[in-house]
Amino acid sequence: MLFFPAAQQTSHVTGTEILKCQHLRKTFGDLTAVDDVSFAIEPGQTYGLLGPNGAGKTTTISMITGILERDGGDVLISGRPHNTTSTWGKKQIGYVPQDLALYPDLSARENLRFFARLYGLPRAGIRPRIEEVLQVVGLAERAKDPVKAYSGGMKRRLNIGVGLLHGPPLLILDEPTAGVDPQSRNAILESVSALTGEGVAVLYTTHYMEEAERLCDRIGIIDLGRIRAEGTRRELVGLVGELDRVSLTTDGTRDVPELEALPEVRKTSVQEGHLEVMVQDARKALPRILAAATDAGVTVRAVEVHEPNLESVFLHLTGKALRD
Amino acid sequence: MRAMLLITAKDLRQRVRDRSLLLMAILVPFGLAAIFSLVFGDVEDQQAPTFVVADQDRGQIATTFTGQALAPLERRGVLRLKKAGTEQDARTLVERGEAAAAYVIPAGFTRDVLSGRPATLRVIGNVNARIGTFVARSVADAFAAEVRYVQVALAVKGGGSPQEAVAVAAPVTLENLAADRRQLSIGEYLSAGMAVFFLFFTVRFGFSSILDERRDGTLARLLAAPIPRVTIAFGKLLGGIVVGVVSMTVLVVAAWLLLDARWGHPVGVGLLVVAGVLAATGVMAMVATVATTAEQAGNVHGVVAVLLGVLGGVFIPIQQMSGALEVLSLLTPHRWFLEGLADLHGENAPMLATGPTLALLGFATVTTGIALTRLGRMLRT
Amino acid sequence: MTAIAWVNLVRLFRDRTNIFFVIIFPIILIMVLGLSYGAGFAPRLGVVGGAGPQAARLVTALERSGQTLVRVGDDAEARELVESGRLAAALIIPPDYDRALSRYTRIVLPFVSRNEPSALQMGAAVSSVVGQVTMPARAAAYVRDGSFEQLVARAEGTRVPGITVSAETIGSRVIPESVSGFDIAATSQLLLFTFLTSLTGAVALIETRQLGVSRRMYATPISTGRILLGEAAGRVAVALAQGLIIMFGSALLFGVRWGDPLGAAALLLVFSLVGAGAAMVFGASFRTEQQAAALGLLTGLGLAAIGGAMVPLDLFSGTMRQIAHLTPHAWALDGFAELLREDGTVVTVLPQLGVLAIYAVVLFGLGSWRLRAVLTR
Repeated sequence: MLFFPAAQQTSHVTGTEILKCQHLRKTFGDLTAVDDVSFAIEPGQTYGLLGPNGAGKTTTISMITGILERDGGDVLISGRPHNTTSTWGKKQIGYVPQDLALYPDLSARENLRFFARLYGLPRAGIRPRIEEVLQVVGLAERAKDPVKAYSGGMKRRLNIGVGLLHGPPLLILDEPTAGVDPQSRNAILESVSALTGEGVAVLYTTHYMEEAERLCDRIGIIDLGRIRAEGTRRELVGLVGELDRVSLTTDGTRDVPELEALPEVRKTSVQEGHLEVMVQDARKALPRILAAATDAGVTVRAVEVHEPNLESVFLHLTGKALRD
Repeated sequence: MRAMLLITAKDLRQRVRDRSLLLMAILVPFGLAAIFSLVFGDVEDQQAPTFVVADQDRGQIATTFTGQALAPLERRGVLRLKKAGTEQDARTLVERGEAAAAYVIPAGFTRDVLSGRPATLRVIGNVNARIGTFVARSVADAFAAEVRYVQVALAVKGGGSPQEAVAVAAPVTLENLAADRRQLSIGEYLSAGMAVFFLFFTVRFGFSSILDERRDGTLARLLAAPIPRVTIAFGKLLGGIVVGVVSMTVLVVAAWLLLDARWGHPVGVGLLVVAGVLAATGVMAMVATVATTAEQAGNVHGVVAVLLGVLGGVFIPIQQMSGALEVLSLLTPHRWFLEGLADLHGENAPMLATGPTLALLGFATVTTGIALTRLGRMLRT
Repeated sequence: MTAIAWVNLVRLFRDRTNIFFVIIFPIILIMVLGLSYGAGFAPRLGVVGGAGPQAARLVTALERSGQTLVRVGDDAEARELVESGRLAAALIIPPDYDRALSRYTRIVLPFVSRNEPSALQMGAAVSSVVGQVTMPARAAAYVRDGSFEQLVARAEGTRVPGITVSAETIGSRVIPESVSGFDIAATSQLLLFTFLTSLTGAVALIETRQLGVSRRMYATPISTGRILLGEAAGRVAVALAQGLIIMFGSALLFGVRWGDPLGAAALLLVFSLVGAGAAMVFGASFRTEQQAAALGLLTGLGLAAIGGAMVPLDLFSGTMRQIAHLTPHAWALDGFAELLREDGTVVTVLPQLGVLAIYAVVLFGLGSWRLRAVLTR
């Protein structure tokens, strides 16, 4: 799938950071919404900002996109300083706001044409580019209808389409899947993956940890305006030092002391019809655990593996659940 | 510039889609203007009052009164005369309101005057025809003064003839200096009043649609786009101005073609309309900056537009306003717009209504300036 | 049913701008109109100059003759004021008026006026006063035997039989003296706003339809008839609330009188029913709120203008008065006029009540029929 005109692909230098935020700070009266936030994204990389509603994700993004004046810190786009008035920097960014930012009484095509021209796309290239984007977001057939007649999923897709229109090297998606049915959500996540495959850098905010886990190369966990931890999923999970849990459903209730002997296993416990095993790396240890259970004469009816996830990382870091 | 026009064009496209704008900007003001012209034009249609004369004397003095005092006034169109056979007939006509007043010249009137006996000329007015009665009485008084003059003059001189006395011209006379009419007819006044009243509702879609964009989330997109922020404001203002000028032009032309309104020189009217639209746009933009949501803005706009309209004489002609209100009305663009149209009205009217046009531009500059200094507040997402 | 009516009132006043449009705006308008009517429509005469004793005498005489005089600075200003209609005419008394008069030089007083009946009539009246005031000077000019002052004094002192002009007025006053500008303003605005607010309030009915609230009401075990009755009650409640606010507000603030309380209450009630019926028709006929609001404004203000709620019916010509009586406003105005001007009672306004009741029945019938159709669709 061709998302970007070839000319745009070379507009940034591979290997350097396309976006670099340093010590971003924003206060609204007494409230410090964003406090010393720093991170960087390279081309082809997806960076996730994971945090609950009100954590400061949208404020951070507003400062990066140049919508909001910042109170402190720097934003560099491909190494160039960026602020609310830098038109060059704004052209490098494709922004998909959290709210549906579309004109409901205009058609999809009219919405796209307006923004294409606002971003200064060459007149001749606008028409084919719009058709291309309509194909990508799957709205080619309904392009003439006013947006207000669209379903929620269609609006979401068009919302993203507008962000893609000018083929920016940096795409910023603010909770693009909020209120979207699972099927559309899947489609959106797949398109984002495809984009990064083409070298686009993506900044993605979400409060769904599954999305962050599935999509993002690096994740920053943000809460109360501060980045609490940052790294790959593994690194973050490693921070918690939590164990995997294998839960076996058994016939009868019997202890299997042999399990304790396995090197990965830290602890076992027996409950009515259940055997809970805490292990270092469940995927590696699972065959041996099953073998040990069978050897001990226990019939295993079902196995469930619980790996520690970002949810537990978040809980560990902030003392609260990601979704209240 | 390009971005500004893009935003204006996009706004206009949205407005055209929204049929209610057509209703509020053109249909309602024109419909009201048409109804008002019909009703108030009828009311304004002044006619010379009718006076009935019941001459029961038919003598020399009585015919002098009817022939030399009343007839010239009838010829000049000041009044219309009707004859009645008896006092009762005259009374009935006055009572029914078919005549404003009646003169009853009693039998023996001439004889009494000529022989130096007190004589009475009776004026019977309809209680509701205040001005007509007043005029009837004035005319009778003037005639009585003439008779008194002859009697006094002869008495003071101690001789002479009435003919000699009458030959002496009155020392003071009136000379009519015709003034132009630089005032709109009621129909024109109300057409223009409705147009400018609804103009304030029409142009509010310009600047305050920033709040609509905020509600729809698109403001964030505009702010993130590679365009200077102020172009958003100017694009919005321009959108309101275009809609305002178009609707005003349609209304002015429609009133001219369909309601027989006679406006002044097209250049002067055109400039006044543009200045009026700019002032309205500025005022509504300034008012919009106090609101945080589109709904709030709509509410505040409604209140401001109605208050300014009432004060500015849209509902009651300024000529009828009392002192304090008249001064207050100078604070409204409506007043200046209507005054400008009145200045342009009439045969010898100037081509431009310079004062009112400049006043409107002053409103526009100040209010738009204030709105722009508060732009940052408007452009928060 | 009372519940639906109540909900409608709460909805009317929850929107704070409605407080402005329903309470403050009508009161302001009554105040402005009342003050304007109170000032009277008497045409004003401008006077420039008038410094010497003879000139001052002329001015005083003009004032005494019943003219409303306005002192004006100079000729140009006078012309300006006449042209723009602020003055009906202006009389310019030259500075050498006194001297010229005593030297028997003929004086021509410029009288600036537009060529319109009212100005011509004023000219006739002013001319009459000038003739009366300068009569002694004219007598002096005839005699010419002694000083001007002496002759004038003698002329003034001479008693002659002359002609007495006796004036009387007949006919019944259309608007009695006791009826104030506020009374007229309040009556007309009562009708204008009661009807207008009903129509613009019909927006609520459309909102209800759109939100599907009415469908939900259908789901509850209430018969269609009762729902229609409830909606109708809501419309009546809104109209009555508006009417009562104006009635009591104007009575308290401006001392407006409404005549026989029972008669006034009956008229307001029946007129509210007419407004509510019209609102039902509107609510059932239009698809969007904007449509209803715009056309409600047009209809509400238009009917008020035609019906005499903007300019008193007394000023209408015969044909227009007949046309006016196609509107419920004119009938209600007649009713209120009867109460106030003729000290009428509920019995004497029965004809007006009857006509209004017919309006109400027809509009309600039409409205319920249409509404039933759109609600059950």
